[in-house]
Amino acid sequence: MDRARLALIVVALAFAAALPWLGGPFWTGLATQMLIFGLLALSVDLLLGHAGLFSLTHASFFAVSAYTVAILQVRYGWPTIAAAPAGIVLGTLLAAVFGISVRTRGVYFILITIALGYVVWGVAHRWSSFTGGDNGVTNVPFPALGPAAITSHTQYYYVVLAAVILCGLGYRVLIRSPFGLGLRGIKASETRMQSLGYRTGLHLYAAFVLSGALASFAGVLYVYYNKFVNPVASSFPVSVEAALMAIVGGTGSIVGPFLGAAVVLGLRNWVSSFVEMHHAIMGAVFIATVLWAPQGLVGIAQRIRARLAKGRHG
Amino acid sequence: MTSAILQAINGVSLAALLFLLASGFTLSFGLMRVVNMAHGAYYLLGGYIGLTIAEKTGSFALALAGGGAAIIVVGYFIDRFLIRRTGENHLAQVLLTVGIAFVIGDVALQIWGGDNLMVPAPQFLKGAVVLPGDIYYPKYRFVLIFLGLAVGAALWLLYKKTQLGAVVRAGVDDREQVNATGINVDRLFVMVSALASFLAGMAGVAGGAFLTLYPGAEWEILVYALVVVIVGGLGSLEGAMIGALIVGLLDAYGRWLLPEFSYFVLFGPIALLMIFRPRGLFGREG
Repeated sequence: MDRARLALIVVALAFAAALPWLGGPFWTGLATQMLIFGLLALSVDLLLGHAGLFSLTHASFFAVSAYTVAILQVRYGWPTIAAAPAGIVLGTLLAAVFGISVRTRGVYFILITIALGYVVWGVAHRWSSFTGGDNGVTNVPFPALGPAAITSHTQYYYVVLAAVILCGLGYRVLIRSPFGLGLRGIKASETRMQSLGYRTGLHLYAAFVLSGALASFAGVLYVYYNKFVNPVASSFPVSVEAALMAIVGGTGSIVGPFLGAAVVLGLRNWVSSFVEMHHAIMGAVFIATVLWAPQGLVGIAQRIRARLAKGRHG
Repeated sequence: MTSAILQAINGVSLAALLFLLASGFTLSFGLMRVVNMAHGAYYLLGGYIGLTIAEKTGSFALALAGGGAAIIVVGYFIDRFLIRRTGENHLAQVLLTVGIAFVIGDVALQIWGGDNLMVPAPQFLKGAVVLPGDIYYPKYRFVLIFLGLAVGAALWLLYKKTQLGAVVRAGVDDREQVNATGINVDRLFVMVSALASFLAGMAGVAGGAFLTLYPGAEWEILVYALVVVIVGGLGSLEGAMIGALIVGLLDAYGRWLLPEFSYFVLFGPIALLMIFRPRGLFGREG
């Protein structure tokens, strides 16, 4: 790793650690959301950026895990140490079921994941005796590990920050492993990978389940931050926004989805303070991204860097 | 027994509505390889415009035609200036058209507000028909079935029996070849996409008279239409007909028998179908 990059990471970490003093509760809260949704976007990007599959059902895993934690903690009094893993397990199990969609490719995969996402939304919305209907499940406490309990949003911010850093490191190992290389090979040419002897279907299925597990983890972090969960968490706009964040930031990288989450959430927060039409603004961001920045911010940065390097050498 | 029959008619009338929307979607995919997620928004906007026309003029027929015609104009500009720039990149198309749908939905919310609005059906379609066995059924939904059948028959004739249809079918199979024979494929695209837009806008007016119009309706109806084309196979007109019937009936019986899990009843069998026939009943490679 070169020096400039190391310095950048140190500065970013120092900034992240000092944020509660620099920005106060508003910015800390916003940063927590950016980290959580960035993690969700990262899970979407495992499929999108590395395997070339565009999933629009990731809000399902996110929401099932959030609902599981909320229901177990609030209604059955489970402690965090049991409820949080249960959430991840259930979300991942759902991903194992929805993973059958990797039998399809391209536009069929996109359409089928949209339909699957609506099943989860439909259950959350209509099975009100269990899910609480549109009101959802409220009064979720902060997480606690025995006597060590989180008591404020600032403390929780550090929990999320630590969790996200750990996930990022694990993700880095994953995408640099032979498994990650295999995924990118499938993205580039599935038939070539098949002729090399890879069972590409199984490979993609494993990626789908892993990506669902990561989305489930983001759901756990979300429900403890948000304090409640309702069908909105499972809705199509959440899935499509997670994909948008990954694309705005730049797919196939680790920083990209978080950058994208920061841009999207920051913009929405800023815009909604003076106009009501935040959906239209989001729509405009979609349109602008597709037309002018299909490679995202990371892509733009690389282009600028390439141009600078060219200027220096030539 | 009576309820079972009622649900069957409910299912078929929903199928008629879904067919109006899904046939346009599937044709524009088949010919232009365009996945237009704004179709649901076209439906909603067409419905709202039809509602305003119906309120101003009192004519339901004008509302149907006006709602459809307005969407032809909207759809043309969106196609020409936005969607065409994505080429054949489906990911970009999905993202772009979802964005367009968000914008349309929000603009409609500003103009027509957030309440459930119902397009007024004409006087002679109000009330119920009495079917054999003393079954009362809303006249309007009954007529909708005939509208769906009429549109289906017209599309089928256009597609299978006219020269234009033959050219479109040839374009679905091999676009370059058609272009090379000297047929202006671009003009063909504009015509097919105008037809798809018109059907979507008209469906909004027809649907708005019994399902009502409200913010979010665009996504609910879009998902149903998507399932119809997934079941039937993208690009297939017959598939859209059969798919609409399957989805309409599954939805009606699901809502009746298992109201809390009706989405499950609808999507469960479809997930199974997907395992065995990933490209739907009438889908082809591509």
